[in-house]
Amino acid sequence: MLEVRAITVEYQSKPLFTNLSLTINKGEVVALTGASGSGKTTLLRCIAGVESIASGAIFLDHKDVTNQPAHLRRIGLVFQDNQLFPHLSVGQNIAYSLKLKRVDKKTIRERVEQALELVGLKDLASRDVTFLSGGEAKRVAVARALVAEPRVLLLDEPLNGLDSQLHAKLLKDLGELIRDRGITTLHVTHDQDEAGAIADRVFDLHQLIS
Amino acid sequence: MSQARTKYSNTAKLLTVLPTIFVLVFVIAPVANIFGKTFRDISLSLLRSGTIHEIIWFTTWQALVSTVIALALAAPVAFCVANFRFYGQRLVTSLTGIPFILPSIVVGVAFLGVLPSTLHRTAFALILAHAYFNFGFAARMIGNRWLQIHPYLDDAARTLGASPSRLFSTITLPILQRSILNTSLIVFTLCFTSYGVVRMLGGPSRSTIETEIFFRAMQLGDVSGAMLLSVVQILIIGSLFVVSTRFGSRDSRRASAPTISRQRRIDSTAKRFVVGLASLGAIGFTTAPLLAILVRSLRTSAGFTLEGWRSVATSTDLWRGLSTSFVYALGTLAIAVLLAIFASTATVFDERTAAFISVLTSLPIVVSSVSIGLGVLVTFDTPPIDWRGSQLMLPLAHAMIALPLAVRMITPVLQSIPAPLRQASSVLGANTWQTWRNIDLPIVRRSLVSAAAISAAVSLGEFGASSFLVRQNNETLPILISRLLSRPGDILQTQAFALSMILVVFSVALIFLIDTFDDFTPTNRAASDA
Repeated sequence: MLEVRAITVEYQSKPLFTNLSLTINKGEVVALTGASGSGKTTLLRCIAGVESIASGAIFLDHKDVTNQPAHLRRIGLVFQDNQLFPHLSVGQNIAYSLKLKRVDKKTIRERVEQALELVGLKDLASRDVTFLSGGEAKRVAVARALVAEPRVLLLDEPLNGLDSQLHAKLLKDLGELIRDRGITTLHVTHDQDEAGAIADRVFDLHQLIS
Repeated sequence: MSQARTKYSNTAKLLTVLPTIFVLVFVIAPVANIFGKTFRDISLSLLRSGTIHEIIWFTTWQALVSTVIALALAAPVAFCVANFRFYGQRLVTSLTGIPFILPSIVVGVAFLGVLPSTLHRTAFALILAHAYFNFGFAARMIGNRWLQIHPYLDDAARTLGASPSRLFSTITLPILQRSILNTSLIVFTLCFTSYGVVRMLGGPSRSTIETEIFFRAMQLGDVSGAMLLSVVQILIIGSLFVVSTRFGSRDSRRASAPTISRQRRIDSTAKRFVVGLASLGAIGFTTAPLLAILVRSLRTSAGFTLEGWRSVATSTDLWRGLSTSFVYALGTLAIAVLLAIFASTATVFDERTAAFISVLTSLPIVVSSVSIGLGVLVTFDTPPIDWRGSQLMLPLAHAMIALPLAVRMITPVLQSIPAPLRQASSVLGANTWQTWRNIDLPIVRRSLVSAAAISAAVSLGEFGASSFLVRQNNETLPILISRLLSRPGDILQTQAFALSMILVVFSVALIFLIDTFDDFTPTNRAASDA
């Protein structure tokens, strides 16, 4: 369960939003919409712990993680532009979090294969990530986040920039993936249709500000 | 092939003729002559001499240690500049860029001024001066690559569980690896072929291959030995250059400019302390030797005096040196800029010509200035081409050394002009020359000024080729400084420091001129090449 309690975030010493609160129950999928520049991405980055908040608190499974560094939070973040590690192959990108945890090589290999199959990219483990198509790169980014077994998954405009056919296909696949695994998810998008397609609840960012 | 394409290819070929002739005559022919004479007439037994082994070994290890120290000093500066926004950042970047553009002899003189005399003529002095000369350049190279790492990559790693140290070892370092290796190779090459610094600080007991070439050719009269060493040197540098080029091209495939800056405001006392320490250390290390030159130009064993400066102002010899240097600098910039315009313009018309120009203008980098000097000396020594005493020979040699830099300043600007601009001009009735004059020239004008300034700066500080080619009546400033320092006497020493200070001021002024007109300072250019 994720609880964002009355947080205020500043950008260049000016408040971006104040007193924003949001609760997502375990296994629930929440979509968040809002105009460009309203602070949706920043909110995700604050929850993930890579951006700091001016005031308020963030709770994860009833534990205050406000001051916990990002690498200890176990919150997965799929970036709008994927941010795949350019010096690592597809398989190495997906295995990254497992290697950090010093999981044995055999298990890593199995988990990477499973993840690739899950996102429909079997046999691409050794591919250089700089040669992936937009859709393939997005799937690798999702697989990389899921393999880390996050307590909450944050999706930042995950289907942005894809053509309509691929968009529809990936949206369906992503929805099934999250639902099947019961992953608590916060999905940020500017597309109302996309928001409604996989979410239990949909909010506009301004609705969360008191 | 279309008619237009044939026309452009022909224009490109025509434009390459002049630069090709100059590089052929003043770089390739002298080097080929050295190689030819060495393999035809010279016994390779010199290479079995213990002294030569010692010299090659010393050259190698001092270059290795200098490289390691330069990189160690560069690392904190690169880290701070790439990751933080802080007060005085521009000052740190500008100041640390200065040592690399100083004439090498001035760096040597600076360390004579800053180090106690007991440390002169030691490996320590040499290594420290080499580290000083290269650390800002290394910081710029690595810092620029670091800046290209998207900050969200760090965030991605952190959300996947990477602690700061694991983030550095698994993401930052592997991405920087090629840049670090490439920088190391360049710095190693520069330390390996360093001449002015070694002549000033090494003395006879601390010889490198480069100074040994000079010593054998000009003082022992052993031109054969000098040529053999020159061949060894060119082969080593050539190999390093090929390796370095491969690293550079591989790294560029992975480099992509991030859409947001990774420089963040400093948000903790610990970070403030680290940035403060690195910045102050870098500023102190950069400025101390320069201040030492100034102080030593005003001080003799009897105390502070303006005698050194006064004699610079009144001595006919020194004035002649100054004017000779400036005349040669003017000649150099005229030749280098003219050739660079031809070479750079040719690259716009044809890809194969661009590749040819790139190789052609890289040759003077592979051949050290000392080897160019020696090559010219042994090649143009018989009538009707006995040009050794010609007043034109020095500006020509300097122009060959400046040409790679000048071309690399003009070419990117010319290549960045969109082809439709020229096509539009063509459609409106302009011929190739009119298009160049009305479209290319106004856009590239600022780069031409920068190329002229860097060519003048190279000429003013050039010491290697000049050591072989100057005569008593045409001594340049670096040669005068070297001669003054080799003689005993307080006033002569202060004169040498005063002349060095003049070179510092002119070099820095020229670089600020380039900074004003163009982003491609020598360090930026090299960093972007890498």
